[in-house]
Amino acid sequence: MTLYHFGNCVALLMPYYFTYKYSGLSEYGAFWKCIQAGCIYIFTQLCKMLVLATFFYSDTSSGNGEFNFFAELLRCSVDVADLLGFALILSRIPGKGHSKLITAGLGWATAEVVLSRGIMLWVGARGTEFSWIYIQKCLESNVMLVQHLTTATLIWLFTRHDLSKALKPLVSVLLAVTIFKGVWLEGLLHILSIGPWAAIAVKALVASLIGFCSLHIYSGLAQQIGI
Amino acid sequence: MQVAGHLLFPWKQNPCTRGAPVGTVLLDVSVNDLNNIRQKAGGLIAMLPKDVSILSDEIKEQVLTLEKEMLTQSIPVPVYFAPYNPNLEHIINDITQNSAKNNAKNEDAFAHLLMSVSANGYHVTVDGQNGAVNKNSKIPIIQGELVPSQFALKHVDNAGESTTLPLILITTNLKTFGITNDYPLNADVAVVMSLVEIFSKLHSVISTSPKYRLAFLISDAGLLLNFQGSKKWLETDDNMSLQNVEFVLSLDTITQSLAQNQPNAFYMHVSKPPKEKTPISHFFKLLKTVTGRHSENATVEGIHKKINLAESKISWEHERFSMKRFPAFTLSSVKNPSSSLRTTIFKDNEARTVAQTLTTVKIIAETLACYIYKIDPMSDVFEGHVVINENNVLPYLGIKSVLQNNDIKDGFEKYLANVKITYDKPDARDPDFMFYNGIDPKLNVYRVKPAVFDLFLTLIVSLYLCSVYFAIQFFPRFYNFIAANTKELFCGQVGNTQNATFKRKNN
Repeated sequence: MTLYHFGNCVALLMPYYFTYKYSGLSEYGAFWKCIQAGCIYIFTQLCKMLVLATFFYSDTSSGNGEFNFFAELLRCSVDVADLLGFALILSRIPGKGHSKLITAGLGWATAEVVLSRGIMLWVGARGTEFSWIYIQKCLESNVMLVQHLTTATLIWLFTRHDLSKALKPLVSVLLAVTIFKGVWLEGLLHILSIGPWAAIAVKALVASLIGFCSLHIYSGLAQQIGI
Repeated sequence: MQVAGHLLFPWKQNPCTRGAPVGTVLLDVSVNDLNNIRQKAGGLIAMLPKDVSILSDEIKEQVLTLEKEMLTQSIPVPVYFAPYNPNLEHIINDITQNSAKNNAKNEDAFAHLLMSVSANGYHVTVDGQNGAVNKNSKIPIIQGELVPSQFALKHVDNAGESTTLPLILITTNLKTFGITNDYPLNADVAVVMSLVEIFSKLHSVISTSPKYRLAFLISDAGLLLNFQGSKKWLETDDNMSLQNVEFVLSLDTITQSLAQNQPNAFYMHVSKPPKEKTPISHFFKLLKTVTGRHSENATVEGIHKKINLAESKISWEHERFSMKRFPAFTLSSVKNPSSSLRTTIFKDNEARTVAQTLTTVKIIAETLACYIYKIDPMSDVFEGHVVINENNVLPYLGIKSVLQNNDIKDGFEKYLANVKITYDKPDARDPDFMFYNGIDPKLNVYRVKPAVFDLFLTLIVSLYLCSVYFAIQFFPRFYNFIAANTKELFCGQVGNTQNATFKRKNN
């Protein structure tokens, strides 16, 4: 459509800025840390690509909208590298309390949205053809932000030794659920043949649920250690 | 070139939107609509029907009339023809439905607003350069003749030069375009090529070598170019001496490309009624007999139409020859010279076309043979090793112009002598015809939304952003609430619950 439409799409990404501004990150001057987190994201993705290209059979003919369960499962198993990336961010980038997690999640999510959506939006949303897909992708990016913040929290919880033993399995299960979301959630959406708008709603719901559980565990631990 | 416009609703219901292109299925356009479009629309995108043969006769008739109108009228706006395409059909249906909704009277202002926001617009761009005049416009004219071998002549008859033998000239036109740059059905050329092939067999055998010269002439474009090819040929002919011409037989639309439930009929168009004992009247009688023998329900009818010298456009090719005082006539399956069947690009049912063309070839070949050998028309000449079957006709049905490939040229050179190709180039200052360059342009149709939609979208996005903003502002309280619950749950130490921490949870 027009540049104006592109503006609309970009405006939908404003929650990223809100998160940065109102979570107090701007007061800590955590901008550079977010960039670092983004760099680690890029590094992780490059490593993932190398692994995927080297060890995994890519079936180019499967681009016809078919949902291939095994291909997705294999692909998601590589996504474990994302967790390592998060762990790297959390261990390398200094930070205090909540801001550390938000830095990691926000930096990661921002790098993702810029790298994977940026070109598509710049070329597509400004193009002549109108399509809802750009608005949808931008909305989905918001869900992804919540998702990545949650993942950062879960990884942090996972690496803590002072987490109570009873909660450890729960954290592991939540992590697994997050990582393999590409398989079970997409598969479910595909089987139920849910439309794109409803799919975003479902994803938002799932992200909120996981986020709520993690927040619950996190707040408990945060009070224990007094941050 | 870029033609851009919005097809917010079909223009038919609202013909006051000047400048907007109109997209439609060709079948939906009436001649009246065409007049409106000429005057008011910004352009026309017409989708050709998917399959002409399944249409009813009335619709075929309507399409033909429209095609004729489009060819004869000058249309100041660009007209694009698209082959059948399901996507385009979908778009056109969408536009039509939108307009139907738009035209519903009983709707309130809010519904109208919603409609204007949700309406799909279509943005059409056409790339490809504007049609520029082709400086090298030319139409090819190919000629060739069957000359009885000198050897045969000496044996059969001691008459000297072959040029003094009577000449029968068979001419036709290769239609290379219609309303679109597509070859229409060229059954006439197929018939001529088949005749070339068949008679070359007879000429190659000494005992059947006739005392006639058969000459063949194929020029491009025909009726739509006012038979410029034969005009040029008549003006410049120098090597094929047009002396002792018995008659000129011209073929025009010998097979109709669209089946209409009419009895098979041949019409012999002449400019002046043939007198008794002339070659033409003799041929006409032979043709009647042979036709009656070969197909039961076919008729032959002579049509006399005087040449109107005041008119710049002539109706039939034989008129070019008649004006030069050659005995000439046209054989055609259409009666009316202004019939749109002569220029249509639509073809249906190939099997019928082939069968009909084959019958025509047989009839004309038999008649010609009877004529040149002076034998009884009740006997079959083409039997045995010279039998005429589909293989004589089929290869020539899709034949292309000499400018495009060498099929005609090769065929002529294989069977005929004195083959010569001349080109008719228009005069630089006062051209009789002109061609335009232009490859098939690509039509892109984009779905677009009106500007008000973007404003509306901005409103929704701002509302969403506000809610996210407040959710983030609200988050510390939410966190504290959860922390308090957690404390009760875990009965842990006293935490610093007053700590105004921020963590965004929900957007």
